[in-house]
Amino acid sequence: MASFPTYGPEEIDALNGVADAVLGVFKHHGYTRHEPAVLQPAHLFVDRSGEEIRRRTYELSDPTGQELCLRPDLTIPTCKFQVDSGASFPARLCYHGLAFRHQPGAGQFWQAGAELLGLADRAAGDAEMMGLAAEAVRAGGVKDFSMLIGDLGLFNTLVDALEVPAQWRGRLKRHVWRTGYFEKLLARMVSGETNDTERTVDALAGLKLMELKPVIEALIDQEGDAPLGGRTREEIVERLMVQACDDSAPRLDPEVADLITKFLKVSGNGEAALEEIRVLTKPVAAKMVKPLAAMAERLHALKNMDIPLDRVRYVAHFGRNLEYYTGFVFEFWTRAGEVAGGGRYDTLLESLGAPRGTTAIGCAIRTERLLAARGEA
Amino acid sequence: MITLAVPSKGRLKEQFDAFLGKSGIALKQTAGARGYRATVEGHPGIDVMLLSSSEIAAALAGGDVHLGVTGEDLIREAVPELEGRVNLLKGLGFGFADVVVAVPKSWIDVSTLADLDDICAAYAVRYKKRLRIATKYKQLTRSFFAHAGISDYRIVPSAGATEGAPTAGTAEAIVDITTTGSTLKANGLKILDDGVILKSQAQLAMSLGAEWNDEQRAIAAAFLKPLGVEI
Repeated sequence: MASFPTYGPEEIDALNGVADAVLGVFKHHGYTRHEPAVLQPAHLFVDRSGEEIRRRTYELSDPTGQELCLRPDLTIPTCKFQVDSGASFPARLCYHGLAFRHQPGAGQFWQAGAELLGLADRAAGDAEMMGLAAEAVRAGGVKDFSMLIGDLGLFNTLVDALEVPAQWRGRLKRHVWRTGYFEKLLARMVSGETNDTERTVDALAGLKLMELKPVIEALIDQEGDAPLGGRTREEIVERLMVQACDDSAPRLDPEVADLITKFLKVSGNGEAALEEIRVLTKPVAAKMVKPLAAMAERLHALKNMDIPLDRVRYVAHFGRNLEYYTGFVFEFWTRAGEVAGGGRYDTLLESLGAPRGTTAIGCAIRTERLLAARGEA
Repeated sequence: MITLAVPSKGRLKEQFDAFLGKSGIALKQTAGARGYRATVEGHPGIDVMLLSSSEIAAALAGGDVHLGVTGEDLIREAVPELEGRVNLLKGLGFGFADVVVAVPKSWIDVSTLADLDDICAAYAVRYKKRLRIATKYKQLTRSFFAHAGISDYRIVPSAGATEGAPTAGTAEAIVDITTTGSTLKANGLKILDDGVILKSQAQLAMSLGAEWNDEQRAIAAAFLKPLGVEI
């Protein structure tokens, strides 16, 4: 059972003090304050973050039966406000308020966050957001912190560059952050025991490319008037064509699996870790140039913010498991734990109705943790 | 006194009566209680409440009754972590049914959870929303899907006739209970090869949230012993 604390006069004054300092930084950099509603339509979160977030979300229904929830984060409602308002991009928005999650300890926590939406230059956006978060943490009274950064975009590029059966690429990318599960998945791919749709694909074995489509369509027709369950015939045909064109009994090359495993184990001081990845991915170096350059640029930006690089740890498998994050992520840590975090979610705005390719990066500062961290120092 | 909750009507009630009958035990409806109360002959310390199967699961979960007879599916749905809350004392050998993941038969490219995971992810990318799973087993579905690594989906609560949801267009796939699979088949659905979440049957269960003093324990033990259960 999570707890819901009442804040006493001193606590709330101290908290407001930290929040004002953080919001002052946001305002100074042109971020305008918004206050999303505490109660939000539940589907807004479930459709974007998946069922997992629902386990930790407080849901309720209003007297008309509409499903609502206490906002589990303020990012999605803030982004939705921007899209619905029809205002132009790029946009800079910020907030400070309570978020609610069913979790051990307190079921509510204060977050001050900033969102930089629709800035086409991603490198500039990355640098601005990390700088903003660092300045906000410092303004909140915490000068001594370390950083954790990661970019699953690097991993995704690697998977696309390596010899991996086409139908498995998505699986590797989706499950990379599930420790335990991912290792087993990789082992199953090497041994070929992946429990795929063997029967249907077997039926297609030996057919020429041009014969495939009619045979697959005939197989679907055999199911008579069974519902399509929201998918189209084309989707089903397409997926089977990909599988049939690939090896009929695909296996992952053990050397490729080994490279993936080694890549995900890379962890350490930013520049050294980057060099390690460069060496490791030499066989596909051409494809890795762009994402590696982006990461090097981020490290350079951090140096310019007076963040010593020996306090910046790059972890290859670090991705935030809130599912709208798309690649680059960062966290600020103190002895009192994580005080701030953020990252890129470049598909969220499109899902809310913005034009395709509208970028987004943001950060959230845990103001209560900043207070606690100040106490520790 | 202890309270025993048994199904108030239907096959489950008849089969439980027969099960007790084999050990020479009979339930006797209390006159005037409008059929909601009964006693157990020879066991005056037991107050029998006749409830619906899902009410019994909820009562076991809440500690409102000491013992109860209902489907394991309903108990596990009401109490996701049984440990320390409900003890399953005895599978009664009737009320067999499987809780399964079923998808449209026309999805000829899908026969396992790994396939469904691919489909869910592709659906989220293509339609910018989550694939819907209709079910009345919200908890069972969530923990089973989490274990299988499937996350790009959303649950649509279903009160009844879940198997019709894909045809009606209110969900893409379902999690439901089935005995022979024929209702699923009639609705154009198939069970995934590794999609059996739970093989369920009627259970005699004990609520650990109810008050259990020495006297109550003795009453329960005397009732359960002839049924082959030691507590």
